[in-house]
Amino acid sequence: MADILHEIEDAVPALRRYARALTRDVDRADDLVQDCLERAISRRRLFRPTGQVRPWLFTILVNLYRNSLRGQRRSGDTIDLSSIPEPAVPPAQPGHLALAELARAIDTLPPEQKEALLLVTLEGLAYKEAADILAIPLGTLMSRLGRARATLKTLTGAPAEPHLRTVK
Amino acid sequence: MSGITRDTLMAFVDGHLDPTGRTEVEAFLAANPEVAAEVALLQRQNDAIRTLYAPAGAEPIPVRLSVDRIAHSGRRRNNRFLTQAAAAVVLVGVGLAGGWLLRGNADTPGIADRLIADAVSAHTVYVLEKRHAVEVGGDEEEHLSSWLSNRLQTNLAMPDLTASGLTFLGGRLLPAPDVPGGKAAQLMYEDANGERLTLYITPRPGIDAPRTELASLGADTALFWSDDMLTCTITAPYSADKLEAIASAVFAQLNPSGDGYEI
Repeated sequence: MADILHEIEDAVPALRRYARALTRDVDRADDLVQDCLERAISRRRLFRPTGQVRPWLFTILVNLYRNSLRGQRRSGDTIDLSSIPEPAVPPAQPGHLALAELARAIDTLPPEQKEALLLVTLEGLAYKEAADILAIPLGTLMSRLGRARATLKTLTGAPAEPHLRTVK
Repeated sequence: MSGITRDTLMAFVDGHLDPTGRTEVEAFLAANPEVAAEVALLQRQNDAIRTLYAPAGAEPIPVRLSVDRIAHSGRRRNNRFLTQAAAAVVLVGVGLAGGWLLRGNADTPGIADRLIADAVSAHTVYVLEKRHAVEVGGDEEEHLSSWLSNRLQTNLAMPDLTASGLTFLGGRLLPAPDVPGGKAAQLMYEDANGERLTLYITPRPGIDAPRTELASLGADTALFWSDDMLTCTITAPYSADKLEAIASAVFAQLNPSGDGYEI
């Protein structure tokens, strides 16, 4: 039982990172992670995960995130895009992509595309693993990824290049 | 090079291709500079996303996210409805608790909370009974099992909790207005110190219930669980940790086919 607590603890930095990227709000992200940890810890004996602890935690986190979005819609709360601070990291390194611009573009993605994109890019998960966490078929994951990336490309001002679609 | 699709290129960008696949894509990109530019753009996207958010994973963990602290602190649940249920059991008297709560709350409490309240009410009443704690004694286990199974119209095994230090005392049939059929079974167990634990089992409520709920009510802890066959609320004056350990034994016996990997 101590083992599963250690495994949960090891996953905390990744959960925080993912929640932060989903919400772009430090407090909201940590609220989600705290809920996630409380849930996982209180259920750790009841639901001995037959698989890995980390994907199980991510599934809990994603569900909590989706619930929080539903709650937000009900209360009419919205995220004020202009209030989002510029990232502290100087936007020098990755080519001509301005980081702040990209961050805002990610925010405009539908939640299900954002969830998929961040699991794959930020967390570096295998496609199958990400699809399992999101409870969607692999094909759905791939199409969400493709759409998310195409949208980001358009929004961040990269020239529209139709070539990918023509490759078969 | 017709085998290279959008998905293959994404897998290349995300580093999920094996060496052979990588070599193939690299050769293809060398021959198709426009696609190569596109792939480079996706790689920059990936890099930029990591640059934006990876640092959040390297920050010091705030105290409130300490796993150790969460695991050893008191229970998180401080459900207003259940707190009122506990107060009602103590102050108003158990028989009135259910009705009082439903009148007193503007928002109707969820099915799980109502069942937990019913279970804790029944627990509070019957654990105090010395001679009439149960209707049918644990020595008549087979009869009890078939009787309660009949009344609840489900196949109900009497979980054996001797490994957890609990002796089976027996069970009784109770009203359960919140579930179809209106009946619940209460099974009672006793430990070496004379502390009693009850299981309050009903058929599936027919509407969506959460999979699990955990609640602290005064000295008692209640753990609710539902699956596609039944719901069970375990109540005992134990810590949540101890109750959860017992719960996994109970659930394994009530539903041996359940894998329990749901949230």
